[in-house]
Amino acid sequence: MPIKIFAPKPPRPLHRPSSHHDTSSSDSGSDSESDAGGGAHLDADGDIPMTSQRRVRLDLATTTSDAGIVTPGELITSDPQWMRGHGTYVPASTTSIVSSVAGTVTRTNKLLSVRPLRARYTPEVGDLVVGRIVEVQAKRWRVDVGSTQLAALPLSAINLPGGILRKRTETDELQIRTFFAEGDLLVAEVQQLFADGGAVLHTRSLKYGKLRNGVFVAVSGMGGGGGVVRSRRQVWTMDGAHGAGPIDVVLGVNGYVWISRHVDAPEPDKAAGLHNMEESVSATVYSSQNDRIDVATMREIARLRGVVTALVENGLRVDEDMVVRGYQEAVEQALLAEEGIEDVYLGGDKGRRLAAALTGAA
Amino acid sequence: MASTQHHPSHVLLSPAELAYLHDSLLLVPPIRPDGRGPNDFRPLVAETGILPGANGSARICFADGTEAIAGVKAEVERTARRAGDDTVFLEEGGGEAGDEREEDGEDGEAGPGALGEASGRKGERKGEAAWVELTVEIPGVRDDDSGTVFVAAMLSEALLADGELVRRLWINRRFHWKLYIDIILISPPLSYPLPLLSLTTHLALLATRLPRLKSEGDEDPFFDDDWAAAPYLFPRSPSRGRPAARPPITLLVMAVGNNILFDPSKEELAVADVALAVSVTSGASQAGPGGNAADASGPSQRSLRLLSIRTIDPPSRLTPPGVANAANAAYGAANLNNLGSSAQQQKAAEARTAETEAVEGVWRAPRGGASRAVLAALVGKVLEKGGVVDEVLDALEAVDLG
Repeated sequence: MPIKIFAPKPPRPLHRPSSHHDTSSSDSGSDSESDAGGGAHLDADGDIPMTSQRRVRLDLATTTSDAGIVTPGELITSDPQWMRGHGTYVPASTTSIVSSVAGTVTRTNKLLSVRPLRARYTPEVGDLVVGRIVEVQAKRWRVDVGSTQLAALPLSAINLPGGILRKRTETDELQIRTFFAEGDLLVAEVQQLFADGGAVLHTRSLKYGKLRNGVFVAVSGMGGGGGVVRSRRQVWTMDGAHGAGPIDVVLGVNGYVWISRHVDAPEPDKAAGLHNMEESVSATVYSSQNDRIDVATMREIARLRGVVTALVENGLRVDEDMVVRGYQEAVEQALLAEEGIEDVYLGGDKGRRLAAALTGAA
Repeated sequence: MASTQHHPSHVLLSPAELAYLHDSLLLVPPIRPDGRGPNDFRPLVAETGILPGANGSARICFADGTEAIAGVKAEVERTARRAGDDTVFLEEGGGEAGDEREEDGEDGEAGPGALGEASGRKGERKGEAAWVELTVEIPGVRDDDSGTVFVAAMLSEALLADGELVRRLWINRRFHWKLYIDIILISPPLSYPLPLLSLTTHLALLATRLPRLKSEGDEDPFFDDDWAAAPYLFPRSPSRGRPAARPPITLLVMAVGNNILFDPSKEELAVADVALAVSVTSGASQAGPGGNAADASGPSQRSLRLLSIRTIDPPSRLTPPGVANAANAAYGAANLNNLGSSAQQQKAAEARTAETEAVEGVWRAPRGGASRAVLAALVGKVLEKGGVVDEVLDALEAVDLG
């Protein structure tokens, strides 16, 4: 079937009937604790759990819409006992708290914040990010990392080929495009932040550098709930099914994902020591020539990409655990499917089934 | 052929990505990045009748988030009297001032239309291209941006090509409907928006209803107040409950090597060897309008007619080439000490020669035109009996027109 056309889904009810509020006061203490822990999910009814603050609840009932979503400029509360958190502001000469983004209100003790529905990436020092060069300047590159501003990658913050350590010269500046040119993808780490939130990146490690042999998928812009979350491991190698070779997955914290064929590091010379190993590994770091990739690996890379997009489309978080389990599930479903293992399509119904299997097992 | 190089659908991809994409699409069968089959479309969400103030409207949303709304509004307009209108019944053709002002797209219809006029008054229904006004709005792009203008021109060209739509707008000899079709892309253009806008326009036109005419002859038109009695612009055949004739659709088809892909995404378009926008119409085709139209009868009594073909300048031609390892100054530890030396100049000379020959795994932008065999295969695939277009039209018919 080449095309499938669906009717639009009815809006998902975020809000249960109002009688629920009065009965929920006993258990909402635990709800707010889970929010305080940074949990990515909403409460069951998608609204703020209110305990004894009758006045606030009345306020909210009269000011916020029924869907539990506030819009920029919408009054959240005028009660002075609340503190404003992220996504809110206090207009001058008032005590009321007003939302500055579109999202859902969350409460942590006395702190009211709004979790945005869509958000750009906010860099933090130490984040592993995948970025794309959009501009080459005299001594640095400007890198798109899905943030509000372009990140900067100074010429002094990259490894020279061969791992040689020296001061950057004018020759390097003239040859800046031989390292990274416009459009190139790279994996890097946030080294420092400017006061305005702009990030400075570095690739001074063998783990970082130019990306090749694979596909890119952006899952950025996810607000509360889905998308890539900061986790223990953002980069891993996994085995492809059906005779495919090992596959590398790089989940940038900024929501840019890179899935590629794993390239074995050349065997380091035992006697050469650390310095030489660095030299031999980083010799290939600025290559833009792909290695030969067999069909099975390409197919499994496409399947992994489908898993990531299916996770995003169904509002699930994207981390190592979910991607690995989702991939295993997708391989199993493909074995049972009538289209056979060659069909790697995971959109629409198939993606929904995959997500259902993943959340059901959790 | 207009260039669309400044269109926002132009993507920035690294040479390594382009090489990988191109290689995977060259395989038989091709492996598309999202895993679709070569003939598969992205799943759509579609609904009609969303704008209460319009005569017809539709919304289509792709799974990747691109979304478009089309609204059709109709107004009664007085038909401009043209010099020679009164004599046109006595003498056909032959350098009449009125005939010279005919649209190009209607040339094919002039023959049968003239015959009809001669035989009776019913046949005099013919429209002008000016009766349909189409505007396209793409967020973040100026109205007079070349890409937007090109997309709008392609859409209206398809609608006007066979004169079928404007003929339906005829009320009487003094009045006609003027149709305003407004198409808005709501989301940023994540892929080349032409097929999305075309499908949305198609649905909106299918859902368009015009008030029922109560007056007769050439008197001032007078309409029925009852909206429930308003007939569809494209009336349903009573037996199947489906429209007998349909507005045309425009599909985007691309080729990589000998692989033909439908509904290409932005990344796929970035490595296309050739991309075509093919406009097709179906339904009870009247007398075959000779010339450039090809006939192909569908399996379900549907005959597909080719209306127009436009080549889209694929963004792949503007992509930077990859650098082979052999020519890469930053590749390999051996090159380190050569930086800035005479060996480097020699290397640059090598790089120039290396660019002319293909190296495996290194991206090279496609050069030159498409081969005739590939173009013929593309068009043949679109017009195939029981093929993709049939399936698309079936799926669009199944949408509830409420």
